[in-house]
Amino acid sequence: MGQNAIRTQGLSKRYGSLDALTDLDLEIDEGEIVGYLGPNGSGKTTTIRLLLGLIQPTAGRGEIFGLDCQRRPVEVHQRLAYVAGEANLWPALTGLETLHLLGRVQGRVDGAYRDELIERFELDPSKKVRAYSKGNRQKVILIAALMTRSDLLVLDEPTSGLDPLMEQAFRRCVHEAKGNGQTIFLSSHIMSEVEALCDRVGILRDGRLVEMGTLAEMRHLSALTVEATFDGSIPDLTRVSGVSSVQVDGRVIRCQVRGSIEPLLKVLAASGVSELLSHEPSLEELFLALYGGDGTPESAATGAT
Amino acid sequence: MRPEPALDPTARVGRAPGSVIAVLTAHKAIRSGVLWGFIFGTFVASSAFSYVSIYRTQAQRDRLETAFGSNNATSALFGPAPQLQTVAGFTVFKVSMTLIILGAVWGLLTSTRLLRGEEECGRWELLLSGRTTRRHATAQALIGLAAGVTTLWAVTSLITVVSGLPAKIEIAAGPALFFALALVASAAMFVAVGAVTSQLAATRRQAGSYAAVVLGVSYAVRMVADSGIGLRWLRWASPLGWVEELQPLTGPRPLALLPIAAFTAALAIVAVHLAGARDLGASTIPNRSSARPHLGLLSGATGLTIRLIRPIAMGWAVAIGVSALLFGLVAKSAGVTISGSSVQQVLSRLGVTGTGVDAYLGTAFLILAVLVAFVAAGQVTAARTEESVGRLDHLLVRPVSRSSWFGGRMMVAATVLVASGVIAGVFTWLGEVSQHAGVSFTTMVAAGLNIVPPAVCILGIGALTLGAWPRATSVVVYGVLGWSLLVEIVGGIGALSHWVFDTSVFHQMATAPARPPQWTTGGVLVAIGVVSGVIGTLAFKLRDLSGE
Repeated sequence: MGQNAIRTQGLSKRYGSLDALTDLDLEIDEGEIVGYLGPNGSGKTTTIRLLLGLIQPTAGRGEIFGLDCQRRPVEVHQRLAYVAGEANLWPALTGLETLHLLGRVQGRVDGAYRDELIERFELDPSKKVRAYSKGNRQKVILIAALMTRSDLLVLDEPTSGLDPLMEQAFRRCVHEAKGNGQTIFLSSHIMSEVEALCDRVGILRDGRLVEMGTLAEMRHLSALTVEATFDGSIPDLTRVSGVSSVQVDGRVIRCQVRGSIEPLLKVLAASGVSELLSHEPSLEELFLALYGGDGTPESAATGAT
Repeated sequence: MRPEPALDPTARVGRAPGSVIAVLTAHKAIRSGVLWGFIFGTFVASSAFSYVSIYRTQAQRDRLETAFGSNNATSALFGPAPQLQTVAGFTVFKVSMTLIILGAVWGLLTSTRLLRGEEECGRWELLLSGRTTRRHATAQALIGLAAGVTTLWAVTSLITVVSGLPAKIEIAAGPALFFALALVASAAMFVAVGAVTSQLAATRRQAGSYAAVVLGVSYAVRMVADSGIGLRWLRWASPLGWVEELQPLTGPRPLALLPIAAFTAALAIVAVHLAGARDLGASTIPNRSSARPHLGLLSGATGLTIRLIRPIAMGWAVAIGVSALLFGLVAKSAGVTISGSSVQQVLSRLGVTGTGVDAYLGTAFLILAVLVAFVAAGQVTAARTEESVGRLDHLLVRPVSRSSWFGGRMMVAATVLVASGVIAGVFTWLGEVSQHAGVSFTTMVAAGLNIVPPAVCILGIGALTLGAWPRATSVVVYGVLGWSLLVEIVGGIGALSHWVFDTSVFHQMATAPARPPQWTTGGVLVAIGVVSGVIGTLAFKLRDLSGE
């Protein structure tokens, strides 16, 4: 295993009486793409701003490529590129001037790749920033980050304001970055984006990291959905171990299964099933299961750490 | 009929949807109007009380009248000075031009902030998505702004009327109310000017600049009209001249309210019309959305700072240069009037010694010092804005250290201040040498450099606040500047102890060329600025970046 791209130990941030982030222990290896999920105010942006050294931790520490984020911010920044969710840029500069400035400040730019990105994202770089739409401003900071080919990309809601076509272009860029061995830390609300791109996912709740793992490792958070069609009489599944949310629609039964599916299969096998469908929970379903479907934390998940 | 949503506050109180914009705008304008009304009123009251405590005898008052009553130079700068032997006449002379200009600046800044500023940051779009139109919304916003002006007038009136009650001052309520009206008339007119420029320009800064040009031209035209060269009729070509024509307390002419009201109403109508004739977010004057790249300065954070502040710094350079030139042009005639008169006693309270031209120029450089200090305050608040709106993040997440950004920004600002001082000296010299006033080039440049240390001190105090207490930056930096200015204005009448005088950064400055520059004292001011700046840089390095 290579060096950790990101490593935090007990990283915490408190604003007055509010714990924005509590005891964050995180390890992200080089070359990984890690998604970072959580509802508004759960601590995602706070984590990123701590890692970037823009704010000071109340406790704990963070490292990027073994460099302390607070003590050696300039060296840390030489190895990363950041995309903010809100692209507040200098309105009097043009897109090209902005890219030139940010590239010069960063110290390294792949010029050919920059031009390719401008084409891919269909950006008119001669326009002034004040004339750009929100989506176009977002493209500018995306290109500014990607064109540096930095070892680590820290992306905070990077596709905010982009249309679906540009979102696809962004996903291609992320895949290419991974192919080049770059590490990507992606904070996003778009579950399909995280599901499609990330090797691992971390979920925050109230400033605490409550889940961290691959999608497969997180399946336990939500139930398997099973749909069975019967030729004959429909069995009573409500008393089967692990089965819940039973719905009957004519000759079709839909239900949720937690834990082992074996008790359900036994009952179904004895009841003349003509068709059986099942699917694993999507990331969105996992997230909603963790948050009780309405963004509020579900008590059932409190055991997770 | 579908019931109104229970959470709609307008429905709850029965307020028409369109009036929400008027109420929102009024809320902000009234808050500002109360604060500035208090400042206006306090200034009026302090001038009246100071006069009666200093000029106790009729002989003293007559000497004052003789010195200033027919002085073309002071008339050009501050307006005519009739009836200086009375409390009312002196108060009008003392406060009018300062408050007329302050009122105009308040009006244009408030108007452009609450119209173009709200549109620029996207809040206007939210309001316009409701049951209103662009014209209706602009009209509503103007009603809100009118409430702000009315508040400014009400608070100013209240303090003016109360301060006129004592027998030794004795200004009746009616004339006091009219005086307060004259003081805020420029605010009303420039609210309307700002409303129009908010339609013409694409950004709040541009809108403010256009309105400032109108103010500058108005002041210049009025200045020529009041300079005693037979062009008094020119007053009618300037909105500020109309305000002067009101002649409150000394010979009221309410008819002069007509052009003021007509000008304000006409501009308000034009603003409402233009608002409906353009797209949301667009400007009436076409704004170039594309430009050829100019990459010269964009190689680092300091280059970016220079690029960003260049337009505003050039604007200040022109303003300071033109003011300095005008001061120089009238220096000789003003000096002749001052020489040997009791004005010298008044000026000596401000630390202005010497005779004739030197004494006059000492006062002129005091005014230029205030302008340069405003440049310093503006630089600090611009730096704070970069942080609060999040633009600074784009630099500080790259290999740019906080101290290099902060230090670079302050160094550029300090350079602008030094350049402003040199411009002040050179252009004053150009003015006075054309009139053969006889002050040397080196003396004038030294006098120009002499006004830089107070500005550097304010820059340093601002940097310290920005580093340690960012959200208070604007309040502290303009507070120090405003206090120092107030001390100089009130102190000119001699009502203040030296302890109070010493709290003014301007009072630490030798009034060159009336006195030789005190480079040691200047050095101390610069040292305070530098030390404050260094502490501010360290504090900035250690704290969290913070938004608005």
